Amino acid sequence: MTRYFVLYVYFLRFSFSRAMEFRVDFFFRIGMDSLWYATHLIFFWALYRYAPFIGGWNFDQALVFAAGLFVSDAIHMTLFSNNGWMFPILVNKGDLDYYLVRPVSSLFFLSLREFAANSFLNLLLAVGILIWSIARYPGELGAGTITIFGVLLLVGCFINYLMHFLFMMPVFWLHNAAGMRDLFFGFGRFTGRPDGIYKGWVRRILTTILPYAIVVSFPTRALFEDDIAGIALHMGVVAALGFGVLLLVWRAGLRVYASASS
Amino acid sequence: MIEVRDLSKTYTVHEKAPGLMGSIRSLFARETIAKHAVKGVSLDVGEGEILGLVGPNGAGKTTLVKMLAGIIHPSSGTASVLGYTPWERNNEFRRRIALVMGQKAQLWWDLPAADGFLLLKEIYQIEESRYRENLSYLAETLDVTKHLNVQVRRLSLGERMKMELIAALLHDPRVVFLDEPTIGLDLTAQRAVRDFLLEYREKHQPAIILTSHYMEDIEALCKRIVIIDGGGFIYDGPIEGIAATYAGQKVVTANLKRAGGVPVDPEALARFGTVLKAEDLEIKVSVDRERIADACAWILKTHAVTDLAIDEEDIGSVIERIFRERRVDPA
Repeated sequence: MTRYFVLYVYFLRFSFSRAMEFRVDFFFRIGMDSLWYATHLIFFWALYRYAPFIGGWNFDQALVFAAGLFVSDAIHMTLFSNNGWMFPILVNKGDLDYYLVRPVSSLFFLSLREFAANSFLNLLLAVGILIWSIARYPGELGAGTITIFGVLLLVGCFINYLMHFLFMMPVFWLHNAAGMRDLFFGFGRFTGRPDGIYKGWVRRILTTILPYAIVVSFPTRALFEDDIAGIALHMGVVAALGFGVLLLVWRAGLRVYASASS
Repeated sequence: MIEVRDLSKTYTVHEKAPGLMGSIRSLFARETIAKHAVKGVSLDVGEGEILGLVGPNGAGKTTLVKMLAGIIHPSSGTASVLGYTPWERNNEFRRRIALVMGQKAQLWWDLPAADGFLLLKEIYQIEESRYRENLSYLAETLDVTKHLNVQVRRLSLGERMKMELIAALLHDPRVVFLDEPTIGLDLTAQRAVRDFLLEYREKHQPAIILTSHYMEDIEALCKRIVIIDGGGFIYDGPIEGIAATYAGQKVVTANLKRAGGVPVDPEALARFGTVLKAEDLEIKVSVDRERIADACAWILKTHAVTDLAIDEEDIGSVIERIFRERRVDPA
């Protein structure tokens, strides 16, 4: 474990060194994401002008949810997004080769090698918004509950990572991941809405097979509702099963990996 | 160190008729064919041995190397490298092998090679003292010490390849796969890489499998070669044995006196074989082995010869001829 931590520190160092070289891109990403945060906040503010509750949450709760979404998105963009985006390219160009001959988990390497240093500043901004939204919440929120919310938010990020890579894995067989990538980002919109608005079989799918609705909504529920154990168990089971499926698909993919000719 | 038995790799690829209609048709009904990249090959490579893998593009060289490095799974057959099945990708196995691909980079493009080496030190868990010793030895031998802190993308192709070699050898691998390590390099850089590999082999005695399109690499580095074509081996043995097996001809070279001799007559020479050179001062003709005596006697009798040499056909030419003949008659 320590070894993987040390490796990750190297990834961080390398990524920061590299990101600093491309200044325009560095600041552009910060500006772009700030705009996205503002758009989202305005969207919720506008909705709540016409309805006091959406999906069972009032405006203050929805604000915490939105801030949680920013943090979740920034974590994904910082840690996993570039790696998920690169993955099909590596498979199709045969560039997995060097990853597969290293005596470390190839999946670890491929999932975390690229740390998006420019998104990291957005993460700090998003955490700031989250702290502000919790601090201004009129109700009582205990430190323990807030801690559980934080932990579950991280579990939600892990689930989001699993889905991203699970959507990319079919590239081993399809050789073109554009459709799957669009699907992943298309479904991603379900993450940005409170899960309470989904009912019936749509809800069942979005909280199990395609668990987009639990990534941020469930941690937020844990903050405002009583059934914390049930929510934590649900997220834990989805994360564990999702990880198991990812490993199975990854191994099956490697069996058909053709690499590319020299 | 390497044992391969009946190893095969077959890819299923789909064929499409040309043009738009072909594309539309293939959308609904796709014809697939089995492409045999490697066909039931067997070989053994021992400690300190450099095996040269020679073959035209698409012969199956890289596929074989990638199977032995554990990158791709075979369709059938077995392989054992250092006692491990490569495609099970045991960490201990991966810690003891190295792979260099002349057409792919393993170092981080935007960072100095020294940074990439530090990452590899962690990945392979190389002790500090051993790391320093190995890096110093490799960088000095390859003469790139002063470039260690230069971004990889700012290095010349030759310097980059040397850095790739360092990256591959830092952890003292026992088996090294070199897939076209000198491709694109100028002659000086090619020679430097070859000299280094010879010295490294002498010092560390790893088993090395080398693929290269440059016969100079193969001749300088390998005592044994495998010729592969169409996925199968057509020759496996000592490099000198190729001429004995395949070269039905020898090259007769005669240096002639500057003046006083009879003019060289290429048509008359052609009776003995293929005329490679027919100039005033030099004759070179490729002759069937059984006609060498006749050819030499005729040249000595009809020209003022100062020197006469009979050589085996150049190995590169022999191999080239083998592939050419197989294209005409694959059987």
